Amino acid sequence: MRLLALSLAALLATAPAAAQTLNVITAGDQNMVDYVNNFLGPRFEKLNPGVSVKAVGTGPGDAGSQKIYEKLSAQSKAGNAAWDIDVAVIHQRGAATMVKENLLASYRKQIATDALVTRDTAKNALGTNVDGYVIPMFHSQIAMAYNPDVVKAPPKTFTELEAWVKQNPKQFGYNGVKGGMSGVGFVMGYVSANSGLGKTFEEGPYDASKKAAIDKSLAGLKEFNKSVVMTPGNAGTLDMLNRGEITMGPVWVDMFYTWQADGKLSPKLKLSLTEPGLPGQPMYYVVPAKAANAAIARKFIEFAASPDIQAEGIVKQFNWYPGIDAQHVRAKLDAKSWDKLFTDIKPETLQRFGRPFPLSDYFTDIVEGYERVVLK
Amino acid sequence: MNRRWAGLALISPALLVIVVFFLIPLALSVQSAFSAKGGGFTLAHFEKSFELYSNDMLFTVAIVLLSCVLIAAVAIAIAGYLTLGEHERTRNALRWLYRWPLFIPFVVTGQVMRTFLAKNGMLNHVLVGGGLIDPLAAQSLLDWRGIVIAFVWKQAPFVTLLLAGAMASIDTQHTEAARNLGAPRWRVLLEIVLPQVRGTLLVGLVLSFVTMLSVLSVPLMINPNSPTMMTVDVAYRISTHGDYAVANALCLISLLFGAAGAWVYLRHAVQKAEHGQ
Repeated sequence: MRLLALSLAALLATAPAAAQTLNVITAGDQNMVDYVNNFLGPRFEKLNPGVSVKAVGTGPGDAGSQKIYEKLSAQSKAGNAAWDIDVAVIHQRGAATMVKENLLASYRKQIATDALVTRDTAKNALGTNVDGYVIPMFHSQIAMAYNPDVVKAPPKTFTELEAWVKQNPKQFGYNGVKGGMSGVGFVMGYVSANSGLGKTFEEGPYDASKKAAIDKSLAGLKEFNKSVVMTPGNAGTLDMLNRGEITMGPVWVDMFYTWQADGKLSPKLKLSLTEPGLPGQPMYYVVPAKAANAAIARKFIEFAASPDIQAEGIVKQFNWYPGIDAQHVRAKLDAKSWDKLFTDIKPETLQRFGRPFPLSDYFTDIVEGYERVVLK
Repeated sequence: MNRRWAGLALISPALLVIVVFFLIPLALSVQSAFSAKGGGFTLAHFEKSFELYSNDMLFTVAIVLLSCVLIAAVAIAIAGYLTLGEHERTRNALRWLYRWPLFIPFVVTGQVMRTFLAKNGMLNHVLVGGGLIDPLAAQSLLDWRGIVIAFVWKQAPFVTLLLAGAMASIDTQHTEAARNLGAPRWRVLLEIVLPQVRGTLLVGLVLSFVTMLSVLSVPLMINPNSPTMMTVDVAYRISTHGDYAVANALCLISLLFGAAGAWVYLRHAVQKAEHGQ
């Protein structure tokens, strides 16, 4: 009897350590959940027996991050001692808000892969200092997709694009500001180029009086819109390109390559990056301030940010640009897989014309200005 | 006295659900729509709603009303044929076919329409292949027309279902008498049958009106750009701006539209009760 009690006690003592669930919650499209559940999770579980990784998605765009923010904020306000999210994957706007409201743990210095991340996006999210709180999972970029059969030389600048659109009415399509971020990014790129305020939008400081200049360049976009097609969403633009209904439009680079790899998009289509640039953004790995399994969460992120995983998973299988600094990843990849990402847009072009999104306040001014000036 | 308490106890679960999941959220929503950032009463959120979205409000009402008219036409035609049609096999086939869209969710409808109505979509392929239109004349229907088509396709069967049931329960003597006196079937339908079931038609249309007002998936998938329906704006205010105040203001405005529908519905229900039908 005593033996039984002892062994039972021993069993109970070891049980929690042996069976631990790491709760990962991710904003973004379904491919984010697939990445954790099908790629990252199984590999991490193999290295850490007894840990099971469970990922759920909260949906695409900033809305997905907003839901994660609301959940953490509610747990914080309720005064819970341990929160039920261990690792979250969020957008820049979400990260900025969560850092400001002390919902995240400063964990980066505690993990080994810290040294592999030096890019500015690891420190600065739309003007908020997030240094230490985040590690980019990947970078994604908006670029101009076009059909080279029809468009021999894609417009290099936004000015050339405007002229091209006038000559080729209804051949350019984008998804406005309500149908996904590739359209929003295009509007940001247009306003930055047209107003010449790109640097101010990115670096601040915020100045509400710039609204007039923003509205003025949006008036140009209203004119521009008369000759373009509005598409239903990020995927809608790709669909229409594929069916030949439009010959040019802004898309997410990773979606573009993934669709081509899946045979959903004509392999003939190409990408270019319009000057002075289109925005891109990282997704961040973060650990909530009171994550129940913070130690394993850090281990998980350390693993996810390791060069091998970044090479095989992020670049090769999911067509994202790496989250950690590129030179650490390139060494782990065969030339073919690496070049595939940079066929149309060379690394130096990406370096120069891949821009961050504007600071939150300017971002709001631009999309609201779009609604007021362009849509009315 | 005991019986009274028993009655109250019986309805209390339902009442509780309504209070907790409908009335309290509604009150919070109203409060947020009228609260300024630092607290205190404000109309700013409504001003912003009208400033940015007045077009979308008109668009929403117009789309939904137009859809209602078309739904009525389709439902009357189908239910009329089911009641008065003389070709047995066609009637059976129609009866079997028309209900299909009832079982398909709005989001799937939106998805189907997206590929069906596109410029190089299936509809235009069929029309071009059949020599009915010139390839260059093919145009995308993914704008307000797409939304209307999706709504009519999805809601017409629902109204037809109600209407066909009501028509089937009419005394056949009336229609037979009219037919004996030489009235063509369309006159029997419009002048004898329809007046007797117009209450049911109205109820079906009001319910469709309120349903369509609240659909997000169809406009989001077919035409999320301007002008679009208010549901898209509500989702957009929350997801892109985290702005619940303006979203709630928009919801309240949309609630007023819905309330207009409910008012028609209730008035009809009261009339019905008073006439003891």
